[in-house]
Amino acid sequence: MSTKTAGHRYRKRPRLPDLAHQLAIFVASVILLTYVLAPFAWLVSSSFQTEAEIVSVPPHWIPHEPTLENFDAIFFYGQEEVTYESRSTVDPASGGYIPSTAKDLLPAMWNSFKVAIAVVILNLLVGVPAAYAMAKIRFKGRNASVYTILTTRVIPDIALVVPFFLVIKNLGLLDSLWALILTYLAITVPFTVFILVGYFESLPDDLDKAARIDGCSRFQALIRVFIPLAVPSLVAVVLFTFLTSWNEFLLALMFTQTQAAQTLPIIVASFTSDFTISFSFINAAGVVAVIPPVIVALMFERYIVSGLTAGAVKG
Amino acid sequence: MARIQFENVTKYYGNVLAVDKLNLEIRDKEFVVLLGPSGCGKTTTLNMIAGLEELSEGDIWFDDEIVNFMPPHKRDVAMVFQSYALYPHKSVYENIAFGLAMRKYPRDEIDQRVRDAAARLHIEHLLDRRPNQLSGGQRQRVALGRAMVRQPAVFLMDEPLSNLDAALRVSMRAEIKELHQTMQTTFVYVTHDQAEALTLADRIVVMKDGIVQQVGAPDEIYEQPRNMFVASFLGNPPINYLEGELVASNGRMAFRRGELTLALNGLASTRLKGDAGRKVVLGIRPEDVDDRNAPVDGGAIDGHVNFVMPIGSDQFLNMKLEGEELFFRVGKETRHRNGEEVTLAANLDRLHLFDQDTQKSLLWD
Ligand SMILES: Nc1ncnc2c1ncn2[C@@H]1O[C@H](COP(=O)(O)OP(=O)(O)O)[C@@H](O)[C@H]1O
Ligand SMILES: [Mg+2]
Repeated sequence: MSTKTAGHRYRKRPRLPDLAHQLAIFVASVILLTYVLAPFAWLVSSSFQTEAEIVSVPPHWIPHEPTLENFDAIFFYGQEEVTYESRSTVDPASGGYIPSTAKDLLPAMWNSFKVAIAVVILNLLVGVPAAYAMAKIRFKGRNASVYTILTTRVIPDIALVVPFFLVIKNLGLLDSLWALILTYLAITVPFTVFILVGYFESLPDDLDKAARIDGCSRFQALIRVFIPLAVPSLVAVVLFTFLTSWNEFLLALMFTQTQAAQTLPIIVASFTSDFTISFSFINAAGVVAVIPPVIVALMFERYIVSGLTAGAVKG
Repeated sequence: MARIQFENVTKYYGNVLAVDKLNLEIRDKEFVVLLGPSGCGKTTTLNMIAGLEELSEGDIWFDDEIVNFMPPHKRDVAMVFQSYALYPHKSVYENIAFGLAMRKYPRDEIDQRVRDAAARLHIEHLLDRRPNQLSGGQRQRVALGRAMVRQPAVFLMDEPLSNLDAALRVSMRAEIKELHQTMQTTFVYVTHDQAEALTLADRIVVMKDGIVQQVGAPDEIYEQPRNMFVASFLGNPPINYLEGELVASNGRMAFRRGELTLALNGLASTRLKGDAGRKVVLGIRPEDVDDRNAPVDGGAIDGHVNFVMPIGSDQFLNMKLEGEELFFRVGKETRHRNGEEVTLAANLDRLHLFDQDTQKSLLWD
C-alpha cells in the first residue's frame, strides 16, 4: 500500500456497512420481534375466530371466517342465562361455548380499573413525599428507613398472603375493593419509593437549596421544582403500579369471592375452569383485558424510555 | 441592613467536625471573603448563614436576632451556587423571577426587576432560553441575576467563578466588585482562589480544617500573616521558607543558615532581642528581592540560578540556596541565564519569621 492511500484512508466518510452486516441485523430483529409478538398476534387473531376454526391444523393466522361472536358475548350476552343444558343452544351458529361467568367480565374489569386508579393515585401521594424526604432531607434513621422499605420487596408475595389475610379479615374488608387497594399498596409503594429516591438523589442538592433560598418551604420545593423535573420517573411509577394492580392474581384470588370485588384476572381465569371451555372466547377476553393498559402505555409512551433510565446515570 | 455574627459556632456532620468554634462578625454592607483549601468548612459556614444547615453548637445573629432555627425562606438572603443550580425546567426569565414570585411580588414589579437585572448582566436576549441552551458564563450571569433581583440584605456566593475559564473569571471579578458597590448590601463570598480573595474582599477570613486562621484586610493578611499556613496560602508563587536560627550580630538580630545571613529590621530586632539561638523559619516572598540595587549590609542573597522562567512582565528565578530550592521574581532589565551565580538584595522590611514548632509568626500576633 502506498503512503498516499494510507494517508487518505479516513479523508472521506466511510462507505455504509456492507450488505451482509445489515442483513444479519435485519434477520435478528425479525426473529426477536416474532418471538415477542407472535403470541399476542395469535391472541388477537383467534379472538375473531370461531371455536371450530381455532382448532384447525395448520392454524389460521388470518381468520377465514372472522366473527364478532366472542366480543358480542362479552358486551351483550350478559343477560342470557347459560347453563349446562343451554350451552350449545346459546350460540348455535358457531357452536361456541360461552362460559357461565361471561357476564361478570365487564363488572370485573370496572373493579380492576377502580383498584388500579386508586393504587396509582395513593402511590403517588405516599411515595413522592417519602422519596423526596429520603433523598433530600437529612434526618436520623434516614438510611434505616430506606433499607427497611427496600427489604420488604425481598419477601415473596406468597409469604405475605396469610398475614395480609388476617389483617384484612380483622379490618372487616374481605371481599371489598379496599382489601385489594391496601395490599397492592404494600407491594407497590416500596418500588415507587425506590425508583423516585434514585431519581431525586440524582438531582443536585443545590437545586433543593436554591429553591428554599428562593422562598420555597420544603413542600413547595417538592411541588415547584422536584415534581416537574421528575415527570419521566413519575410516568414510570404510574405505569408500573397500574400494570401491577391490573395483572395481580394471587391476592385478588384470596381476598375476593363475589362480583363486588372480583377483578379481571380472577374472572378470566375462571373461564378455564368452567364446565365449558371456549378458547376463542377466552382469547377475546384477553384482548379486552389488554386494551386499558395499552391505552395507558400509549398515553405516556413518549416518557417511558427516559423514565426507565432516568436516574441511572448521576449528574 | 444586615450584620451577621457568629458566636462559638460549631458544626458536626456525624463525627466529622466541619466548623470549629467560629467567632466572626460580618459588618453591614461589608464584602467578606471566606478563603481556604477545599474541605475547610467554607460552604458549611455559608450554608449556616443561609439556614440550609443547622448549627451543632453556638449562635448566629442577624442584627439583634438569633436566627439558629429560622428557615431559609424567612431570611433575607440570596445565594449564588458553584454549580449555578438553575432550574432546568424553567426559562431564564422564570429562573430569575422565581424568588420574587414565591414572595408574591406584583407581576409588573417582577417584570420590571427581571428586565433590569437582565439588562445589567447583558442577558436580555437570553430570557426565553432554557439553562441547557446557555454557555457556562451565561448560566453564571443568570445565577447572579436570580440573586440580584431579590435585593437581599445578605448576598452569599459559593465559589461562583470557579467553573469559568480564566479570562472570564478575571472580568467577572470586576463585575462582582461593581455589583457590591451598587447594591450596598452585605456580601459573603467563598473561594479557594487567593487572587480572587485579594481583589474582592474588604476583609478576608482564612480558614483551615474548620478553624479560622486569620481575619483581616487583604493587605494585612498578605503582609502580616499570623502563621505559616496563611503566609503560604496567599501569594503565587508561594512564599519561600528556609529553616535556620536567630543570631545576634553587631547589636542587631539576624537570621542565619549556613553562609546566608539576613539582618532583621529594627522592629523585628527589638522584638526578638534575646532570642539568639532560637530555631526559626524564615519566610521570604518571591517578589521581595531586587537584582538592580546593591544589597545593603546584611541583605545579600547569593545563589545559583537553576533555571530562568520568563513570564512576560518579569522573570522567575529558580535558585539553589543553602541546599534549598527557592523561587524569586525579578524585573527584566537584567537578563539572567541558567546556571549563573547571582546576588540578590533582600527587602529586609518584608522578611517573615515563624517558630519552627508552632508555625506561628514571631513578628505579628
Ligand atoms: N453533607 C455532609 N456530610 C458529611 N460531611 C460533610 C457534608 N458536607 C461537608 N462535609 C464535610 O465537612 C467538611 C467541610 O466541608 P465544606 O464546608 O463543604 O468545605 P469547603 O466548602 O471549604 O470545601 C469537609 O470535611 C466535608 O467532607
Ligand atoms: Mg465548598
